[in-house]
Amino acid sequence: MAEKKSTGKAGSGQAGFNGAALFTLAAVLAGLGIELMTTGGGLAIPGWPFNLVFLLLFGGAILAVGLIFREHPMVTWLGGIPLGLSLIVGLALLSFVGGVLPQESVVNGVLQHEKFPTGSLVASLRLDGMFSSWPFALVTLFFLFNLGLTLVWKTFPFRLANLQFMLFHGGFWIALSCGLLGNSQLQRFVVPIDEGRATNVAYDRDTERALHLPFSIFLKDFQIDQYAARLALYDPRTDQVIESNSKQMHDISKGATAEWPGVGSLTVLDYFPDALPDSHGIPVPVEGKNGFPFARVRLEVGGVVSEHWITSGGPQLKPQFVPMGDYYIVMAEGEPKAFRSEVMVMGEGGERVAALLEVNKPVDFHGWKLYQMGYDEKAGRWSTLSLVEAVRDPWLPAVYVGFFMIMAGNLLFFWKGIKKMEEA
Amino acid sequence: MTLVEFPAMALAAVVCWLVGSLLQIPARTTKALGLLSWSFMISGTLVLVWFLTSYWIALERPPLRTLGETRLWYATLIPVVGFLVESRYRIGWLKYYCMGLAALFLGINYMNPDVFQKALMPALQSVWFVPHVVVYLVAYVLLAASAVSGWHNVILNFRDKRSAKAESMSHYLALLGFVLLTFGLIFGALWAKEAWGHYWTWDPKETWAFISWLAYLGYLHLVARKTDPKTLQWYLGLSFFVLLVCWFGVNYLPSAQNSVHTYSG
Ligand code: HEM
Repeated sequence: MAEKKSTGKAGSGQAGFNGAALFTLAAVLAGLGIELMTTGGGLAIPGWPFNLVFLLLFGGAILAVGLIFREHPMVTWLGGIPLGLSLIVGLALLSFVGGVLPQESVVNGVLQHEKFPTGSLVASLRLDGMFSSWPFALVTLFFLFNLGLTLVWKTFPFRLANLQFMLFHGGFWIALSCGLLGNSQLQRFVVPIDEGRATNVAYDRDTERALHLPFSIFLKDFQIDQYAARLALYDPRTDQVIESNSKQMHDISKGATAEWPGVGSLTVLDYFPDALPDSHGIPVPVEGKNGFPFARVRLEVGGVVSEHWITSGGPQLKPQFVPMGDYYIVMAEGEPKAFRSEVMVMGEGGERVAALLEVNKPVDFHGWKLYQMGYDEKAGRWSTLSLVEAVRDPWLPAVYVGFFMIMAGNLLFFWKGIKKMEEA
Repeated sequence: MTLVEFPAMALAAVVCWLVGSLLQIPARTTKALGLLSWSFMISGTLVLVWFLTSYWIALERPPLRTLGETRLWYATLIPVVGFLVESRYRIGWLKYYCMGLAALFLGINYMNPDVFQKALMPALQSVWFVPHVVVYLVAYVLLAASAVSGWHNVILNFRDKRSAKAESMSHYLALLGFVLLTFGLIFGALWAKEAWGHYWTWDPKETWAFISWLAYLGYLHLVARKTDPKTLQWYLGLSFFVLLVCWFGVNYLPSAQNSVHTYSG
């Protein structure tokens, strides 16, 4: 519509594209200029409620400009596809830089300019912090302006035929603007809890600053399930594991066999996932998860058969392994299969909610989402420490509205595409 | 079935495709041979479907974790696109590229054998794992096919044999690919929220997924601008390289040091 009408002047032909490309370049250069002047300080998104105020003003301005100056050639150009395409290219190129150069990250409260020291050109232009930099912000701003204008023109007057367009473009507009503006209110904290203790002390993931949450978490129990322990042939000279002829990771179970051509072969005679050595040093299975994995293996090396106990060891138990030729047969602990925290969350008002936190299964509590994040990896399955992450993101529902609009538009697009394809 | 059987299965598939393709030559004159040729080509793919299924069962988890495992899927699915395109558009040449590409992927897997490992890290144990990866897989398959036909059209144009039908085919492959790419991106974001606490963190893998999505978004808007389809064939052919970076090139970029998303293996 608006585009088709305007295909006379600024919006069409090579001229439209050249102007648009120049405009995008200017936005990028202006952004880089600001970074240089602030030595790569980047852009801080305003916090509540200024982010909302900004969104309303920006949205209102787009609506007003789009409706009042609809016929103005300058405005049709600002909302036209040539500029949109140039800005898409600009966004892609900036993302390209951000996707190639290592980006800064905050570790233990210290900003890491990993490759690029403060004062280097890359850091001064904030190419190592692209996604919070001025060039990225300016291009995104114009992108949203351009997209917003097109959206206004396609929405007023309302026509059902434009539904797919509105869903796609509107959804993207909402998701992008709300995601970026809401970022200033995103809170992500790590809450370390010991078994049998309750705490409300959380640490900011970026600054490591400690603070008190409006609720506390009591850790009843922390559990880890592991995959079966594995056998491996270890080469001490290269510090590497040698693959057997079956290209398998050898999960240990009674009767399992493995063969390394030219070295030897092995059969598992017995396997106890949880055992402790008795007074003669012979492993005996124990209840619960208080023991260590032990396996009795029969080796055959060059026709010589022998039997041994091996274990991956653990706290206060040294690993046991056996030589096989120039190598060693070792037992590796299984990888973590699942870990979970049985917790009681207690609000300030005294309400209590029992919950099970597990990876991929966060739990909601009063606007917070609680995640099973990690544990004491040195202690492995004997860890009594659980790391819980507490996240609050008040703008999430708006972003999700955008996501679902895009997906709805996507379905319509798919359906229309299939229909057109049938006709073609 | 485990990886010990892989070389035999891969060879069987490639031989089937090869025999089927060669049979196409006499099939031009003898109809019965056409049927035989198709049975061979489809059998090649069925061998891989069978291998993939039994590998999945043996692994006790979806074989979608390592790069090698995703290549196995591409090798299985890309020829299917070629076959479907022929039945839909009566365009025969695409299937040869597709089988060639699939054979290349099988070859790469043969040179770099995976290790048979059942473990699936907790973050991957999610209802989103299969839909997210499969949607992306199919998107890549379609976009690979659109890139191949884009290049083919570029060559046709050089030889003044422009085909509107072939151009419309590369367009619809790209369009369907974009739809799935969009779903894959959003599924990924929804999953990341559940697994990692936030839907978007500009991790290198995410950044490259965004760039490749923008590349195809650019394509659709060039189409909406009624850009000359001749130029767009170049665009489709080149866009796929961006996808390749996203698929495995990311692992080799300086930015990948602190990525959580790169495939292991
Ligand atoms: C810079 C901002 C953008 C502008 C100015 C813009 C403008 C347009 C216009 C004018 C059309 C043609 C619609 C028609 O003829 O009915 C279009 C099509 C389309 N746009 Fe956008 N768009 C922008 C960004 C986006 C974004 C971010 C998305 C995805 C979320 C998107 C997805 C689509 C799709 C899927 C089509 C349909 C293409 C087709 O029918 O072949 N656009 N856009």
